[in-house]
Amino acid sequence: MIRFIGSRVLSSLATVFGASIVAFVVLRLLPGDPVRLIVGRLASQQAANTMRQVLGLDQPVPVQYAHYLSSFFRGDWGFSYTVGEPVTTLIVSRLPASAELGLAAFLLAFGGAVVLAPLSIRLGWVDAVVRGLSFLGLGVPAFWLALLLLIVFSQQYHLFPGPEGRLSPETSAPPALTGFYTVDALVSGSFATLADTIRHLILPAVCLAFAPFAFLVRLLRSNLREVSREPFMTVVRSKGVSRWATLVRHALPNAFLPTLTAAGLVLAELLVGSVLIETVFDWPGVGALVVQSIERKDYVVVQAVILLSAVAYVVINLVVDVSYGIIDPRVRLGSSLK
Amino acid sequence: MINASGAEDRPRAPFESLPLGVEGLRYVVRAGLRRPLLTAAGLALLLLILIAVLGPVFWSVSPNRINLLAALQAPSASHPMGTDEFGRDVFARFVRGAQISLAVGAIVIVIGAAWGGLVGLLAGVLGSWRDVLLMRTMDAILAFPPLILAMAVTVGLGTGIVTGALGITIASVPWYARVVRSEVVRVRNLPFVEAAVAAGASRQWILRWHILPAVLPTLVIQAAAAFGYSILALAALGFVGLGAQIPTPEWGAMITDGLQYTLTGQWWIDVFPGLGLLFAATAANVIADGFRDALDPRGEYARV
Repeated sequence: MIRFIGSRVLSSLATVFGASIVAFVVLRLLPGDPVRLIVGRLASQQAANTMRQVLGLDQPVPVQYAHYLSSFFRGDWGFSYTVGEPVTTLIVSRLPASAELGLAAFLLAFGGAVVLAPLSIRLGWVDAVVRGLSFLGLGVPAFWLALLLLIVFSQQYHLFPGPEGRLSPETSAPPALTGFYTVDALVSGSFATLADTIRHLILPAVCLAFAPFAFLVRLLRSNLREVSREPFMTVVRSKGVSRWATLVRHALPNAFLPTLTAAGLVLAELLVGSVLIETVFDWPGVGALVVQSIERKDYVVVQAVILLSAVAYVVINLVVDVSYGIIDPRVRLGSSLK
Repeated sequence: MINASGAEDRPRAPFESLPLGVEGLRYVVRAGLRRPLLTAAGLALLLLILIAVLGPVFWSVSPNRINLLAALQAPSASHPMGTDEFGRDVFARFVRGAQISLAVGAIVIVIGAAWGGLVGLLAGVLGSWRDVLLMRTMDAILAFPPLILAMAVTVGLGTGIVTGALGITIASVPWYARVVRSEVVRVRNLPFVEAAVAAGASRQWILRWHILPAVLPTLVIQAAAAFGYSILALAALGFVGLGAQIPTPEWGAMITDGLQYTLTGQWWIDVFPGLGLLFAATAANVIADGFRDALDPRGEYARV
């Protein structure tokens, strides 16, 4: 067990190391002189040279890389000269918004998949609907769907608020505990704020959840089918368990495992912030931050977010892998025992 | 190798036993009627391709011609998809957008499959430290959310369709590499390869007659699945302003252009490009599924 976890951790570290190299290389391709971007075009050459020394850009490239890597892991992600804040503060302040949206979307996608996959196996018409939805979900551009839903539900029927972010302009945020407005509002007892938060969360979460839902429901459906063919299912059924119960209480838990791995990956992708949905709904998350930083040519922020998202992805992958190994002994003991 | 009847016998590639000519046509039509969804998707994609290719022939309005007097007109006979804020005909821009999306999508999957397939093949065949090195590099690329990686590439190398396509290709290469490598490793361990080695077959022979035929269907399935995704990814880049630049009528960029007008009632600027994307990507996905059913009934491959 220890060896399994150890080998997975080592392999994850190697991936993070590799990812940092990729991020470093890609960002060295950036146009423009970062020194000039900071000191401005009118500053003297001497001032530019001093700034270059301060930033450490006169060092040889491997030294720069070492410095980049070490400062990343120390939590020093640089300073954003366009916003005037350390990048760490900037990202941390926007992370809860993205995380809340990502979590909401994940719950919708995963919950929807878990509910609809068994139904689609038992009921023919549900199967047709689900198949159609899953094809659409993977083919529809999320940002366009967001626009469509905004036009229909927000403008035409006034059911949901428009692209105004997490709360209505007149509502103030609940006292910050976790940064998750839903949790904070619940804890502080302001149910009006809670309702407002949820109203603002629904449309973006639905848009964000559509594609992952399509992916997960297809995966779960095919896994359920596979498990249903196994001999033990015949035994359960012949014991007199109803068709519905055999599906939900025996097939589903077994079909869960491969789906869980995929679900973990989906969660990782969602948490770091969906660039497109956040842009459309004016959501103050990390994804919107990336787009704004690119527009403002604030590449320090872009650099930090890229590496951060890679690290988050690797960490979540590691957790999913290890838990899969804990739950299913065949995985950690090696495929020779399958 | 010669079999009992004296004829040449060798491993057969997929579709090799399909009849040609009228017989083949009848086979295809009957197969198509059995799978209405697949046929519908195929026809939809064909329609889009026809529009892209033949559109400029029959519709001679220029996609970039500005006519401010005719700005923001609803769809009508003279402008089937209306006009945008500069009076440009949306249908002409739609056609040009179709050309861009379909062509770039095709190029991205071909180059991605070629590169990824090569890396996977090398990793699987050469093995040992080269395998580890190659796959670790692939893992490092996979660690990034594909859209963010593509955005970083466009930021680093300059915005535009070409760099956007490059970014998407780079992000897709590890998928091909992984899938191809696992297929190569699987085939490598099969008994008939061992038998071939024992019979004295050279590495090239085994590659050509055993490994390649096993790898190609895998690659084709993955590429087909990635086609829809590539179209959407390019549109996403255009949407955030990092892919196609004004005045290029790429579908994603068109949606951004029309954003402020859509929310005030001029829906046609945004809805049509979006519908184009929807049909192209969904049709591509359905067809990719069909490919998978035809070439790999085990259904092992996860959707990208």
